[in-house]
Amino acid sequence: MLIEQSAYTNRWRRVSPAAKGIFSLCGMIAAYAATAPATACGVAAILCAVTVLGAGIPLGRYLRIAAPALFFLAASALSLAVSLKIGNTVSALSLHLSRAELEPIAHVCGRSLGGLTALLFLALTTPLSDIISLLRRCKLPDTLLDLMTLSYRTLFVFSEAVHETITAQSARMGYATITLSLRSLGGMVANLSVQVWHRSQALHLAALARNNDGALRFLEPEHPDAPRTIPLAVISGFLLVFLAAFLP
Amino acid sequence: MHIMEGFLPVKHAIGWSIASAPFVAFGLRSINKRIKEKPEQRMLLGVAAAFTFVLSALKMPSVTGSCSHPTGTGLGAILFGPAAMAPIGAVVLLFQAILLAHGGITTLGANIFSMAVVGPFAAAAIYRFAKTARLPFGLSVFLAASLGDLLTYVTTSLQLALAFPDPVGGIAASFVKFATVFALTQIPLAISEGFLTVIVFNALVRFNPQELKEMNVVTAQEVQA
Repeated sequence: MLIEQSAYTNRWRRVSPAAKGIFSLCGMIAAYAATAPATACGVAAILCAVTVLGAGIPLGRYLRIAAPALFFLAASALSLAVSLKIGNTVSALSLHLSRAELEPIAHVCGRSLGGLTALLFLALTTPLSDIISLLRRCKLPDTLLDLMTLSYRTLFVFSEAVHETITAQSARMGYATITLSLRSLGGMVANLSVQVWHRSQALHLAALARNNDGALRFLEPEHPDAPRTIPLAVISGFLLVFLAAFLP
Repeated sequence: MHIMEGFLPVKHAIGWSIASAPFVAFGLRSINKRIKEKPEQRMLLGVAAAFTFVLSALKMPSVTGSCSHPTGTGLGAILFGPAAMAPIGAVVLLFQAILLAHGGITTLGANIFSMAVVGPFAAAAIYRFAKTARLPFGLSVFLAASLGDLLTYVTTSLQLALAFPDPVGGIAASFVKFATVFALTQIPLAISEGFLTVIVFNALVRFNPQELKEMNVVTAQEVQA
């Protein structure tokens, strides 16, 4: 996972997740507050520059990560640009490309770009474990946090199991045809479904052996930079929102 | 297909989040109840969320010859119940937004509603109805998985149509437009996912009937058949 690799290796890895969360949230608000498409694109450019130049994420990797979302945006923008007129008969069905509609579509695209770059700023600079501890401080329900923690800790185990199974199945021509592919995939998913029970039972026994009595407890990581970086994030975030809301 | 970050207008983003919240809260309440009765369910549901995430990242061959990703809503709803799937789906969708940049934070509510509420509840209802109608086990699973998957995308199309009504034809025309775009990929995908889920359940019934009976997914008679 490219995002996960960047989150652990970027320059701002040790910066307080609260500061990065606040700046990312302000970025999203700025994208929504932007009054013109160009302003929203400006917000996106600033957030992209901060992520690439500040946190040191290579631009090529950044674009590769953003590509699927940009593809969705392009397809959706095209759907929005074309109007459908439904008449009483099939021959009355017609497509229109309205010039007047291009302005609101540009606004949606600008806002989405701004939102995407704000999300990528947080995702590429902050490991998920830090985001979970940030959500714990935001007082999210314990059960939901336990689900997140357990899920995050096991998804790489499953990912490795999937990778190894696919390699073994491919070596035996398991994906040579569509029918064989479905059969191989079905066998693998069934096997993994059973592992869900087995692995969870093993985890439960391991937790019981350590006197677990319910909720999972973790030591919170300390961020000595927080008194400095949080006010900085608040000020720069508000500045971004102010610029987006009041620039023409 | 997830709705991307920032795509929905602010009122819609907030509205869908409010609409999803009671389902996630109800799901958490039901999970808490299950954990109180059986503490090992905490680990089971956490691991199930990881499994759903990995499942959604798998490449599945589509009947058109292309590749796509399964949603896992039907499989999850039958195995773990639709109520538990709302919080599990919320976690998976949040992880997809942060780890894969699929979907987003502002559109999380809308995506939860379509993929973690409508999909699983529809799949579970179809599976229950098919069992009541005494349809064969394989057909029940196929209908639940494929129709649950399709309804997910119908909901996404509706969400987009409500947010962006067509200037000429209104919400109905916009819905037709988005549904047509999705249908090209999603109908073959739903059929493939239906077949895949049947293969998974056939393997589970054959090799792990005890676990399925403990989860009340199948009866002893279905295992023998």
